[in-house]
Amino acid sequence: MFGRTAAQLVREVNNDDQHIRRFNYDLFDKVIAEIQEHFQQVTTIMEKGQEENEDGQITSVDENYNGAVIHHQSILRNKRCLLAYMYHRANRLQRLRWQLGAVLPEDVKGLLHPSEKEFVKSYSEALSSYMTKLDIDLTVDITPPKDPYIQVRVLDNIGEVLLGDQSTSLVRNSIHFVKRSEAETLISQGLLEEFTG
Amino acid sequence: MANYYDIHDILMQDENVSTVFLHKANGAGFLDPSSEDNNVARGSVVDLPLWLAQDLVQRQIVHVKLPSCFNARVRKEVQADPACIDLRSKCPFYYEMGCKLVELNVDPTLGPYLLDTLRGRYKDLLCKALTATLTGNPKFVPLLTEEETRLFEAGRDSMKAFKKWRLQGPRLERAAILGRKRTRDPTPIWS
Repeated sequence: MFGRTAAQLVREVNNDDQHIRRFNYDLFDKVIAEIQEHFQQVTTIMEKGQEENEDGQITSVDENYNGAVIHHQSILRNKRCLLAYMYHRANRLQRLRWQLGAVLPEDVKGLLHPSEKEFVKSYSEALSSYMTKLDIDLTVDITPPKDPYIQVRVLDNIGEVLLGDQSTSLVRNSIHFVKRSEAETLISQGLLEEFTG
Repeated sequence: MANYYDIHDILMQDENVSTVFLHKANGAGFLDPSSEDNNVARGSVVDLPLWLAQDLVQRQIVHVKLPSCFNARVRKEVQADPACIDLRSKCPFYYEMGCKLVELNVDPTLGPYLLDTLRGRYKDLLCKALTATLTGNPKFVPLLTEEETRLFEAGRDSMKAFKKWRLQGPRLERAAILGRKRTRDPTPIWS
């Protein structure tokens, strides 16, 4: 009651700004059950009011009207909380598409609701088709470059990777001089780090 | 009107205010644990969350009492030295809640009082934000309200960004979701 459960859900999104937690089915269902209960109460109050008044109208000075308003507002409040929860998660997923590319890491995928997976897929498709139409990769150069080439240090054994027109062997702790646009996604995926000697 | 999806606005409206019912409300007994017949009687005093109180005031069903965190005693304390009062323990969303109450015409002196309070605290806050050490939370942060904490963090982060720019640190970073910890290769390099 009082929309406290719903607020708890919103607080959960608020707590960590960057990370995505497992979709909270439990709380989510609880809030929906609460909404249904409020709805039932509104219907009962309305029916009772219509029986009492012979003309079947409920006016704003009515005692029943006040009760119905309270339940109605509770429904709206719960709805707002649920939508905000979904909205902020969706926003974070959108951001991930820009940072990590089209494929989400497996451990993130496990945290999502099926509808969110659907959302990520459609969003990614929409963005890719837009970029193909423009013929520009919009996800590179999010921070403006000073130099088209940068030095990077490899953080993990990756193996042979095709960088530019030649294949390079990326061994852990080796340092390479590569095109910035190619390194950018690898850095945000955590495989390389910018080397500032 | 704040954004519909604004998390802070949603959480702020979860704060309780004390209200008096001007009319009877049927079927809303869950609001008042002392009621016996699932109705809230006229004249009963009930703590309602702000989102509900706000709407009911506009419909003139309830009357909002001034919350204790804005009463004369607190105001005197704050006026004595705004900078060192623990406002967070009084109400974590002190200013925004106050602004909402101003809209509801609870107290005509509340608006100017809030402005004075923020004015009194702002200078100190800004000084601390710009000179704060870059790691860890200093001990005065728990005294700040939510709004002030956001101001403080904004100030600190802009200083951080400025220093980073001066020192020409790395500008490309890994996505925050992957975590700070590096995944260590189990085999040492020299093997």
